[in-house]
Amino acid sequence: MNSKHQFLFIFLWLIAIAIPAQDSLFLITEKKDFYAGDTISLSFKNKSNTSSYQLFCTNSYGSTLITPDKNEDILIFNIPQFISNKTGILHWKLIGNNQNISGKLSITSYRKPTSLETYIGPPTIEAGGIDYAMIIVIPTDSLDNPIPENSKVDVKRQFLQSENKQTILTKDLIGYLNIFSPTPSGRMLISTESYELNSKEYTLDILPAIGKNFKVFHERDHKYADGNQITTLYTSIIRDKNNNVVSDGTFVDFFITNQDGNILNTSGTTIRGIATASIIHPDCEATWNIKAFIDGIANSDVLQISYAKVIHKIPVKFSEDNRIITVGPLISFMEQMIPDGLQIELSMYKEGKFLNKIVEQSKDGFTTFKINPNIYKSGNYEIQITSACNTKIYKSIKLW
Amino acid sequence: MKVVSNKYLICAILLCIGFHGSTIFFTLETTYDALIHLFFAGHYADNWFEHWSYKWYTGFSVMGYPPLVHQSMGALSLIGGLKFGLFTLAIIVSILFVTGVYRYSLLITANTTTAGYSSLLAVFSSSFVETLHIFGQLPSIMGISILMHALPEIYSWLKTGNYKYFFTSLSLLSVTVTSHHVTPIFGMVFFILPLVGMVIMDIAREQVNSYKEIRLQLFLKVFGKTFKRNITFVLLVLVLIVGCILPYWINSKRNPITQVPIPHGSRDNFLEILSSGLVFFLIPWGVLLFLLPYFIYRYFSKRYLFFGICFSMLIILGTGGTTPIPKMLLGDNAFNILTLDRFTLWASIMSLPLFGEFAYRFVEGDLKELIQRKFGAVYHRLIGGFLAVFFLGFAIFTLSLGYFRPSQPQKINMLPIVNFLNQDQHDQWRYLTLGFGDQMAWLSAQTNATTVDGNYHSARRLPELTTRPIERLENSKFKGVAGIGSLQQFLTVPEKYNLKYIFSNDKFYDPILYFCGWQRLPQLENGIMVWERLNIPPLSSILPRDGVHKWENIMWGIIPFTTVIVAFIFNILPLFRNGLRMKPKVPPEYLKFQNDYTSFSKTVLKVNHLWAAFVIIVMLYGTYLFYIKNDSQRSPKNVITAYYNALDFKQFKTAHSLIDPRSNLTIDQYMLEISVTDGLLSSYAKLDALKSTILKKTDSLVTMEVKTNWITPLEKINKTEYKTLVKLKRNWFLVPEEKEADLPPDQLYSKNKTGYFNQGRKRITTEQTHHEDILKQPVVEIIVAKLVKFKNSYAIIGKIQNIDNTPADIIIKGTLYNDQNKELATYNAKHLVKHKLMPKEVSSFRINFEGIAWSKTKDSIPKKFDPDEFTPIELEEQPTKFNLQLAANVSNSDLYKDHVLSNINIESKGLNGTIFNSGLQEITVPQLIITYYTKNKEIAWVDHLYLNQGIRQHRKLYFDYRFIENSIVDIINVDMSNCYVNGLPNEDVSYKIVPNRITNHTNEVLQKIHHPLYDYIKIEMNSFIGNPK
Repeated sequence: MNSKHQFLFIFLWLIAIAIPAQDSLFLITEKKDFYAGDTISLSFKNKSNTSSYQLFCTNSYGSTLITPDKNEDILIFNIPQFISNKTGILHWKLIGNNQNISGKLSITSYRKPTSLETYIGPPTIEAGGIDYAMIIVIPTDSLDNPIPENSKVDVKRQFLQSENKQTILTKDLIGYLNIFSPTPSGRMLISTESYELNSKEYTLDILPAIGKNFKVFHERDHKYADGNQITTLYTSIIRDKNNNVVSDGTFVDFFITNQDGNILNTSGTTIRGIATASIIHPDCEATWNIKAFIDGIANSDVLQISYAKVIHKIPVKFSEDNRIITVGPLISFMEQMIPDGLQIELSMYKEGKFLNKIVEQSKDGFTTFKINPNIYKSGNYEIQITSACNTKIYKSIKLW
Repeated sequence: MKVVSNKYLICAILLCIGFHGSTIFFTLETTYDALIHLFFAGHYADNWFEHWSYKWYTGFSVMGYPPLVHQSMGALSLIGGLKFGLFTLAIIVSILFVTGVYRYSLLITANTTTAGYSSLLAVFSSSFVETLHIFGQLPSIMGISILMHALPEIYSWLKTGNYKYFFTSLSLLSVTVTSHHVTPIFGMVFFILPLVGMVIMDIAREQVNSYKEIRLQLFLKVFGKTFKRNITFVLLVLVLIVGCILPYWINSKRNPITQVPIPHGSRDNFLEILSSGLVFFLIPWGVLLFLLPYFIYRYFSKRYLFFGICFSMLIILGTGGTTPIPKMLLGDNAFNILTLDRFTLWASIMSLPLFGEFAYRFVEGDLKELIQRKFGAVYHRLIGGFLAVFFLGFAIFTLSLGYFRPSQPQKINMLPIVNFLNQDQHDQWRYLTLGFGDQMAWLSAQTNATTVDGNYHSARRLPELTTRPIERLENSKFKGVAGIGSLQQFLTVPEKYNLKYIFSNDKFYDPILYFCGWQRLPQLENGIMVWERLNIPPLSSILPRDGVHKWENIMWGIIPFTTVIVAFIFNILPLFRNGLRMKPKVPPEYLKFQNDYTSFSKTVLKVNHLWAAFVIIVMLYGTYLFYIKNDSQRSPKNVITAYYNALDFKQFKTAHSLIDPRSNLTIDQYMLEISVTDGLLSSYAKLDALKSTILKKTDSLVTMEVKTNWITPLEKINKTEYKTLVKLKRNWFLVPEEKEADLPPDQLYSKNKTGYFNQGRKRITTEQTHHEDILKQPVVEIIVAKLVKFKNSYAIIGKIQNIDNTPADIIIKGTLYNDQNKELATYNAKHLVKHKLMPKEVSSFRINFEGIAWSKTKDSIPKKFDPDEFTPIELEEQPTKFNLQLAANVSNSDLYKDHVLSNINIESKGLNGTIFNSGLQEITVPQLIITYYTKNKEIAWVDHLYLNQGIRQHRKLYFDYRFIENSIVDIINVDMSNCYVNGLPNEDVSYKIVPNRITNHTNEVLQKIHHPLYDYIKIEMNSFIGNPK
């Protein structure tokens, strides 16, 4: 018996002597510490036999009033299960007399967990050691009370080839641990154990961190600017600083600066670290400087590719009062007809003033513009025909 | 006197049950109102004594509509379901109507045969058929029917002072009051007051020998003598009107109707809008129109003088906006709230007794003799045949109107939707229907889930709805920009209303749903598309409701049925007693005032003939005009109108028939060309206005400028096209246009992409989702954000990036504060942001603060709707600070990113270029998001452009964009300390993932432009895929 208990004992003993001296009612139950689930009853010796007493009980779950069972001059208060099943301090006070008879009981749980409440979050973290997830374990007894402080909990982890176990002690009813991400990406399986009770398996995904700079490449069927074929751009395998391949779906923006300084744009998402994007060949001779970005994070070096001119001349024929303008044949690099869909623009000017632009597409190498006499009245017009970056200007065409 | 059953009446009742009893099953459910009443009935069936319904408008009081009809349906539904209640009540109401007409006619004509004729005619009366089978206004019919039953009792009371009639009349009137509130109020003016006048006339008549001898002096004398009883009665009726539905009046006081006027066809000018004229004037009048002079002649005879006055007033009021008189009579306010079709209905009902009388005289009375004598028997038969055919024809035409020109979408099988709402706690959120028509009420009646929309607009409370002249959000496309704009507001800030699910029966709304950040779930088995918005909190378990006193609820629940029971005791029980010969039957007083049916006035016959000829000429002329206007190839203008209408209604065969046959464009080729053009304009646009002007015309060739306005779900499109038309053998044809010829290089091509699937709950359980099944919210970073003022409107602009490893669906909510930290406005980014971001993808955004965003919503909503219009507010209310809340959730849909900016040309006022679709899906609506940067490459403004055409796979689309005007953007605040991501401070979350961000990384690839204020732009793309494959 340590000194604290000795003191308590003497104190109680003094009370025990004092009470009968002053009053008719005193506590005869001496036990103050119980385990959750025990049957708890408080007995009082009652000499007066006159008034009816009740016991007011309160713990962290609520309060109640208990009426006693009488056994001759002994009053027995049976604490109901919903209170005796909960750990914590139980305060009690006798009601029905003018004396202030009160006290408290301590209810603790057995260090024998029957269930482990485990939470892990967030379920995905980034590799590299900055990001972390927290695991929280609450071992509880059969009555759903957390087991006492400083109980042991083992956190078991499997990651790649390694498996390890770390022991933590519960504090303030829970056990917790911050799990910092390792450098490789992968899946970590986690489980917990407390006094031979095991949790189920939990998953923590370690995702790759942000990418590092990369390279960009291209692939195309021919070098000509025919406005029809497709060039594919792709990156080297993009990895993070720990050499993990970045997550699938990472968005890479490819910016293309052309010979006029204009910015074209295509994009792709990575699969196994490689982002692929495609773009249609330009209509005209071009030099492209291609640089790909993961905005704010990484970029490629500049890739330069050139496209050779395919259409060297635009044959134009005026007929029917100059109102039917036939453009073609538009010949490509092997003297073949240019594939359908080449854009041909016809701009109309009158006295230096821009009137309208008509855009047509080539079909079988030809395009016909019909100048509507109801819209464009007879007179002199300047006509510009542009296709594949070739422009032909007819300063003064008389429309009849 | 031997009592004989009136065989006409019996015939009428049997015909009524047979005719209406069988046809309602094909018409009633597609009427405008029947399902609304059904919804109310469902409410009473569930909670008889509860005035509050949470199901519509985020909660409203059902005390806004008299309850008797709804409660009766609700009570009947307990036997055989809601629809059983609806149909049973409709049959009961029809019988009440026919018998009511009989009694009212007997009162007026004092002749059982003519009254029998009237009841027979009432069965097929086109106004009744229309009100029941097209409008479905059961309470209105119920009200007027009971009122007609009450009129003879009122007469008897006023005439005799026998207290028996006092009670019968008041008991019947109270039933009228509890079934429909407008009927007794106007019925008082238009039916009871003239009846009082008639009683005075009749009493005066008894003091002299004929009506002719009644002079004003005598009339006034009798008026004075009977004044006390009459005025007491009128006052008592007023007490009934107020008392029986007292909670209704209290509710109207408590929740005054703040709704701005919603346009209604009955207020149109019928000569301008012919369809309204047909529905609200021609149909309800029908054959009665030919006999108007007879009715007026009869009603303006001395005995019926007051009826005559009321009758003419009803006719005039029923003409709506055709003449200014109704507006003057009713005043602006009442004119805009009331639907004026009811006046025509009452006028036509008021004329029924005389119509019966006319029929009697025509079939077997003096008119027959007169006509036969003057024109011969054949003419009499011809006229009779004509009238009969016309009369029945009108009834059949009216009945079939809903069949040939459906006012409602096809009947929707609600079961899959109801099941969807019931499963997986989907009813914890609000839903919205789109394109359901009035069937949305039927869905509401079947589910516990609530909606922000509703179908009884007088009960609305949300200022977002009451300030807009729209009927329902559900059919907002029919209300032009105002309608679409209101819908957009709900779609943009759905979390304000806990709106998570949208059931769409109309693909028209798909683009706006997508661009507002909604995503598709698998289609339901009835073909309804379900759209869902992520990050919407569920409804709280306790919702706000307006409380009323307990006595109001009890009164509301008990009084209507009590009135019916009381009326039954007073009116029906004596009938049994009479039937059992327990008491001798006293013939009613009004039977004493028989009419003389022996000499039909020749003048009236003549006038009526002239009138009928006039009506026929007007009708023929109208038909001719209609033909000229609609003969599609008579003039170039008609061709253009017909062609665009055909395109609008997707009648491609008709459209093709208008194309120049010499162009050898086969229908197959035409259809093929149509089928490959997808996009905003060809798939999601509704023609709003068309204006064509002839630029040049020769005898056989015309060039026209066609200006069209299209309402699309996203924006209004104004288009100008030039069309050439040629004349071939008196008909005009359209010269077809060339189609694009672009050929893609690859026949078959492949593409790899990363797809995602979210398991949701891994276990099959109805429990709450397990902790470990919940995905982490993706980390998104706000890279830059600024509060700016552009012209008169405030906006938050900026740039965000998904820095996580999973695709994110994002919601950005901006809030504006003034210097005193008072919250001024809050709104979400609508379409000026990419709502779905792949890992590491960047998007610019702009949050506009539209009308409803502002706290002082009511003051700030502009009168004329324009979603971009900003309301200037007082000086101390100027925003100076902002807060930005970004919420992200893992999304696996709508992640299409294969749009390529393949060419670009910078011009002085804008730029043009081509977009290339490099992926495997057809892009339906491409959107460009254009960010403007200053000389120092700092973000200044965000603009956008929707392209009207779609882009097929491996095809290009040419676009043209004009720069914004030279208005300076004022940068008000760049402080980003109040930016939060998933509830955490922006800086903290980004530090963990991108600690060493390369700032201004892509500045080197900004596009240089020629603009006086801005030096650079960046173009981002976002694509709506209409049919994901």
